[in-house]
Amino acid sequence: MFYREAGDFKTTYKADQAIFPIALDRWFVVTVVLVFLVVVPLLASNYMLESILTPVLILSIAAIGLNILTGYAGQLSLGTGGFMATGAYMAYKISTAFPGLNIVFVLIAAGLCAALVGIAFGVPSLRIKGFYLAVTTLAAQFFLLWLFTRVPWFVNNSISGVPTAPPRKVFGFLVSSADSDPIDRYLFVFIITVVLALVAKNLARSRIGRMWMAIRDMDIAAEIIGIRPLTSKLTAFAISSFYCGIAGALWSFAYINTVEPTAFDINRSFEILFMVIIGGLGSILGSFLGAAFIFLFPILLNVMPGWFGLEISVTLVTQVELMVFGGMMIFFLIVEPHGLARLWSIGKEKLRLWPFPH
Amino acid sequence: MTTRTTPCAGSEAAETEVILDLDDISLSFGGVQALESISFDIRRHEIRAIIGPNGAGKSSMLNVINGFYHPQKGTITYEGVVVKAMKPYHAATRGIARTFQNIALFKGMSTLDNIMTGRVNHMHAGLLAQALYIGKNRREEIRNREFVETIIDFLEIQAIRNTPVGRLPYGLQKRVELGRALAAEPKLLLLDEPMAGMNLEEKQDMSRFMLDINEQYGTTIALIEHDMAVVMELSSRIVVLDYGRKLADGKPDEIRHNKDVIEAYLGVAN
Repeated sequence: MFYREAGDFKTTYKADQAIFPIALDRWFVVTVVLVFLVVVPLLASNYMLESILTPVLILSIAAIGLNILTGYAGQLSLGTGGFMATGAYMAYKISTAFPGLNIVFVLIAAGLCAALVGIAFGVPSLRIKGFYLAVTTLAAQFFLLWLFTRVPWFVNNSISGVPTAPPRKVFGFLVSSADSDPIDRYLFVFIITVVLALVAKNLARSRIGRMWMAIRDMDIAAEIIGIRPLTSKLTAFAISSFYCGIAGALWSFAYINTVEPTAFDINRSFEILFMVIIGGLGSILGSFLGAAFIFLFPILLNVMPGWFGLEISVTLVTQVELMVFGGMMIFFLIVEPHGLARLWSIGKEKLRLWPFPH
Repeated sequence: MTTRTTPCAGSEAAETEVILDLDDISLSFGGVQALESISFDIRRHEIRAIIGPNGAGKSSMLNVINGFYHPQKGTITYEGVVVKAMKPYHAATRGIARTFQNIALFKGMSTLDNIMTGRVNHMHAGLLAQALYIGKNRREEIRNREFVETIIDFLEIQAIRNTPVGRLPYGLQKRVELGRALAAEPKLLLLDEPMAGMNLEEKQDMSRFMLDINEQYGTTIALIEHDMAVVMELSSRIVVLDYGRKLADGKPDEIRHNKDVIEAYLGVAN
C-alpha cells in the first residue's frame, strides 16, 4: 500500500539503471538529505550536532570504507583503525606543511596516502584468504600505530606527541579545531559523507563493483570470466583505505580536535567491523544504520535509566552497558545475520501489502 | 529462433580451420597421471564432445584449455598461436569462456548482474567515470545492458532478471551460467556437463540453446556430457578419454561402433 514499485514503469535502460530506480526511494533519499542539511542544523542542540551526529557521520564513512573491502570484495580486514590513523596523521602533516592548502584537498591527499598504505597491506590478500588475511591486516593495525607513536616526524616533533588539529576554513567557515562552530563542522562532515556515499554506491553498481562481488562470491569463476584477482583486490583495498583515511582525518580535524593514536586503536577496528556486520555486509545504507546503532546504543543505555527515574551508579551502568551490548550483538547475529539493511528491505516488502494480508 | 534444416548443425562445418590444437598433452598431479599424451583438435564452428567414464580426465582437459592447469608436456595452439603458461583471465580475453560442472555463479548477485559481470572485458571506463557514473561509464553500462538483454531474451529468462541467483532452481542456474559465458561473446565455449541433473524437458531446452548458439553466433563449442543420446545428436565430432588416455576420436557414428569405446563404457561384451 505505502511502498510500491508497481506503476513505476521504465521505458529505457537508462531509467532502469538510475541510482535509485524507484520513484518512492528517490524522494525518500532526497527528503532525508534535505532534512539533515536544513532542518537538523536549525533544530538540533550543539551537543547533538557536535557529539552525536558528527561522529556518527564520520564513522559511517569508515564503515562504508570497510564495507567496500569486506562486504563487496569479501576481504576481511582488521586494519581499519590503522588506515584511519594514516589518514589523520598524513592530513596533519600535509596541512601543517602547506597551511594555505584547502582542507578538502588535504583530505583527498590524506585519503590517497591511506590508499597507498592500503595497497601495500593488501598484497598478502592475493595469496591468503579469510581469517588468515584478517591476521595480516592486524599487522597493519599494530605496525601503523607503532610507527605514528614512535616516529616524532609524523607529529612535527611535538613534545606531548598529541598535537592539536590546525584551524582550517572552507569558504570562510572554520571547520576544524576547537573554536569552530558545531553547525559548520557538522555541515562540512555531512556534505563529504553524502558525496562519498553516492560515489560508493556508483562504484558498487558499475563494472568495478561487479568485479568485487564476483571475487567475493566465487573467485575461481571470476578469474575464468576474465577478472584479474590482483587488480580487483588491490583496488578494493585502495578505495576502502581511501575512505578510512578520510574518516580518520575528519575524526581528528572535525571531531576530537587532536591527532592521537588512542582514537585509532584496535578497538576502533573492531567497532567498525561490528558496524558493518550489524548494518549489513554489502550495503551502503547498512553502513549508516550500523554506525548509528553501534554509536548510539551505548548512549541510549546510559541515559535510559534516567527516563524512568532510576538512580544507578555510574560504574554499574558501564558494566550493564557492556553486558547488554554483548547480548544484543549475539542476539542480532542469530536473528538477522544479514544486518539492519536486510531488516529495512523486509520492512519495505511488508509495506507493499500492509495493511492487507495478501 | 531460426528453424534448422538438419538436427546436427555442426556436422557440415567439420572441415573448417582448426581453432584449437592440442598436441601431446600430459598433466600429472604428484604421482597421479591425469592426462597422458593426448592430442586432438577443435575446428571452428563445430560442436566437439569430450566423453569418457568418471575420472577419465575430461574436466582436467577443459582446465588445461582455459589455462587453469598447466600441462607438464605438450603444446596448445589457439588460433594459430602457441600459448604458454596462460592464466585463466588471459584465456577469457582471447575469447575462451566456460561453464562449470558444479554451478559457479555469483550467489549474492542478481541474474542480470551475473550476466553483466560476464562482460567485464567489453567495458573500459575509468575509475572516475565509474565513481561519478558519468560519460563513458554511463554509455557503456547502457550499451552492455542492451547486449545482456538480448542474451536474457535468447535464454528465455526475462522473468528472473532481478532475482538473486542463489534463490533460483538448479535448471535455471545452469541457464544463467550459460548466459554469463555467452555475455563474453566467446569464440570457443567450453561446457562442462551442461545437462547434469536435468530432467528431459530441461535437457531439450539446453540442447536447443546449444544448437542455436552454435548456429546464430557461430560459436565453437567443446562439450563434456554423459548423456549419450544428447552427445550423439548434437556433436559433430567426439573424442573419448579413459584413464587419462585418448581412446577414440571421430564422428558420432564411428564412436558408436568403436569396440574400445563400447568396452570402456559397457564392459567387455560376453
